[in-house]
Amino acid sequence: MEAAPVVDESCAVFGGLPELEPQAIHRFVVGEDQAPRTLSADEAEAELGDPFATLLLLQGNFPHSAIATLKAIDQATSADDPLRQQMSFVLGEGSQLDDPELATDGLRFLVARGDGPQGPDLIVSAFAPEQEDGVELMSWDRARGGFNFYRTVGSNGAWVFAGNSRHAVLEGTEGKGPFESHASGNLLMKELKTPWINWDSPAAPIPPTIFPEGDARVQHAWFAAKELQGAITCEAAVARPSIQRWTEARFEAIVGADGAIERPARIIEQILTTPTANLVSSHIESDVVASKEVDLPVTFFVDAEGLAQFELPTPPGFTLQGALYAQSLQTFEVHLSDGRGFDQPRDTHFAFVVPERAAEDQAVLQAARESGLISDRLAASLLMTDFPNPIFSERRASLMSHVPTEATIADGVSGFSEEMANAILAAADASGEGSAEREFAERWAAGDAWREQFTPILNDYYAAVQAKLADQEAFNDYFRLAESRRKHFRKFPIGKEFKLLFSRSNVPEQDRAMQSDGTVVSQG
Amino acid sequence: VAVLERFSTPAHLPEPNGAGADAWSERVEGLVGPFAQEFEQFYDPTEDDTPTDGQPPPIAWPAFPARLKSLSEDVRWKMADTDRRQQDEYCEWSVEKDGDEITRVTFTSEVPEYFEHLAERDRADGSDRLLSFYREFVDPDADPNQLLDANGRYIAENPLNTSTDGRLAHLVMGSNNLLAAIALAAQATVLRQDHGVPVTKQQALVECAKLGESLRNSDPQIAGAVNNAASTGVEISLADPIGLYIDRLLMTGMVAPDDADVTDFWHIERGEAGRALRASFSVPPERGYTVTKVKLAGRPITFGAQLAERVQIKIEPAIRPAAHHPERKPCKHQR
Repeated sequence: MEAAPVVDESCAVFGGLPELEPQAIHRFVVGEDQAPRTLSADEAEAELGDPFATLLLLQGNFPHSAIATLKAIDQATSADDPLRQQMSFVLGEGSQLDDPELATDGLRFLVARGDGPQGPDLIVSAFAPEQEDGVELMSWDRARGGFNFYRTVGSNGAWVFAGNSRHAVLEGTEGKGPFESHASGNLLMKELKTPWINWDSPAAPIPPTIFPEGDARVQHAWFAAKELQGAITCEAAVARPSIQRWTEARFEAIVGADGAIERPARIIEQILTTPTANLVSSHIESDVVASKEVDLPVTFFVDAEGLAQFELPTPPGFTLQGALYAQSLQTFEVHLSDGRGFDQPRDTHFAFVVPERAAEDQAVLQAARESGLISDRLAASLLMTDFPNPIFSERRASLMSHVPTEATIADGVSGFSEEMANAILAAADASGEGSAEREFAERWAAGDAWREQFTPILNDYYAAVQAKLADQEAFNDYFRLAESRRKHFRKFPIGKEFKLLFSRSNVPEQDRAMQSDGTVVSQG
Repeated sequence: VAVLERFSTPAHLPEPNGAGADAWSERVEGLVGPFAQEFEQFYDPTEDDTPTDGQPPPIAWPAFPARLKSLSEDVRWKMADTDRRQQDEYCEWSVEKDGDEITRVTFTSEVPEYFEHLAERDRADGSDRLLSFYREFVDPDADPNQLLDANGRYIAENPLNTSTDGRLAHLVMGSNNLLAAIALAAQATVLRQDHGVPVTKQQALVECAKLGESLRNSDPQIAGAVNNAASTGVEISLADPIGLYIDRLLMTGMVAPDDADVTDFWHIERGEAGRALRASFSVPPERGYTVTKVKLAGRPITFGAQLAERVQIKIEPAIRPAAHHPERKPCKHQR
């Protein structure tokens, strides 16, 4: 008997499902399925080509916990199979707090199996090895490409197929179920970059001494034999290769045999808007911030990685005196709170945690250029529109209304860029003074000399920002701007879920934007 | 492991005779011994045993300097590639090019003390191991006059070993040496408090106890791991053979133009897998392309630093059970 239709289309829907038959493969691709349904053997074989399915589920093997799944993989593979190669990582938003309960509350593991040049084939996320309900698993579909997303439901650990990476970018399923968080179908490592706040790493190890005495997790191989470099390895050997792998597969799939591109707007959306974001921070621990020079993430100020793709100048690095930063913490009554009673006047472990443009969106930008869909001139002109606001830019996002509905690529060449540019230019005259269309038109007018014209604009901006970082009130404005971007991030499911991601402050909730002279303005 | 008879050479590099082995051991003893005398929870493995069932904290870090990580990629990669003084994570590298394209990147974690030892042994027994090393690994035309001063003493910062181009010899940046690593491990056994509040965070600990540089990957990592272990009451030292080691190069995400297995491009030149002292990344000549043609995370390798971000360095601590009840001492600036 199939379950009743489910109304909730968010990722949380899986938490509210009734118990399911554990000896079956269930499918619940939110947006396609009204409710979980059992796949027949033929259906499962036709849809699931990943090693988790082919080695276990399709063989009638239904492990009921995270660790049982990995043991079953071991039993189903030969000793030299790459799937036997394991890397484990640990993270937790409270892991650097002195409060012993908070330090281990929410601690979770990421375990990767397989070590090919394109990254692992199977990734498990769980709070504990013996966990049965809520285990998340991604496995690369060797037949169709993309990761297949699974999770267990209920106390008996029934496995539900929740979709493939491609469902993240398909109308009807995008933004639903797991793709609410995995916005474009990628592995999620939101703190992707150094110093990987919240992750075990050389920058901030999670030592065994944080566990309460007798906690079984500390002796388990997932912790005891975790990767020496933690997040560094996860970034380099798991997250980035996985993003690259899916992006390449996605572009291979969306360019049809006739060169037609399916839904070009879905690609441009990842260049013009902020479907998701990563988190980055200073490298300075908050505990020592007052006496140090504080490095601020350059990507807070500009899309340095996007611009670097076009060999446009990137910032030399932005720093300010720690005393100024420390004063801002006082001025804005910065405190860390879990919303459940823990509340301390302090900042996050590393100072100045802010969202930055997601690596998965950078990968799409690169793939769109390399496929020939967009020209460097168009991409650079788009990114240079409202460039001081690399994320959450409504101005840049407003250009989405000019994206052509169709596109074709022939021999690596497409007329898409000219078509889109012409659509924006056509709208520019009728748009208001200072509109995004007019700003784009100005950038586009640089013609083939765009690099020469954009370079001094960026360098002037970098100089203006660095000069302002010597001034307390100017930095206070940057702090307020950071708060408004954090507010946006908190609206993402991955921002709502973890209360200790950011510190709190008394800064009024308001949208703010950076300007090219390094000043910040309030909006709305 | 029983009490060590003597300290081994890094990665058990061969010594031609017992006198050479003794000389190296005495040199290391001269570094370890005074710290063992000074610090209650730091021990000398040639004086006290190291049980085999201890679980010393693993300590590893990336070779790329943490101080530069906040800069955008191209800026930081260029800075690190062009100045050995920036390479301060107990690993240094140099780059060989053909035109604009990289042909080989060589990494070393060999400490200068070992080369001083070679020079001394050469003087003592008339051998020429120092020059032979330079001619084999650095420059076939290396001249003794480039390596030794008028008194026959070794010049670590010689012209062949300070360049960022070509093939470097060993660590030369000011704080990249064995003494610094041993001192850090020993001093980090002291627990600290700041006005009564335990200092446990890595950078805060480094600042509080003046343990090296807080914005490195290595120093805070070594200090934090040792300090955390010391808090459990054990005694700590460094495992034999004491050295700084290149653990591995993470090669996932590297794609060769002919889809070759890039693990074949990583060559351990001295030491062994997991405990290398010198290693290089180059494409076998028969493949007919350069390192730059290999893509890493979707980008061609145009800087040695791109690889350095994926090179893992490690130091191997040792512990022995003890029942110390260490008292936390105030930060040094509060004295």
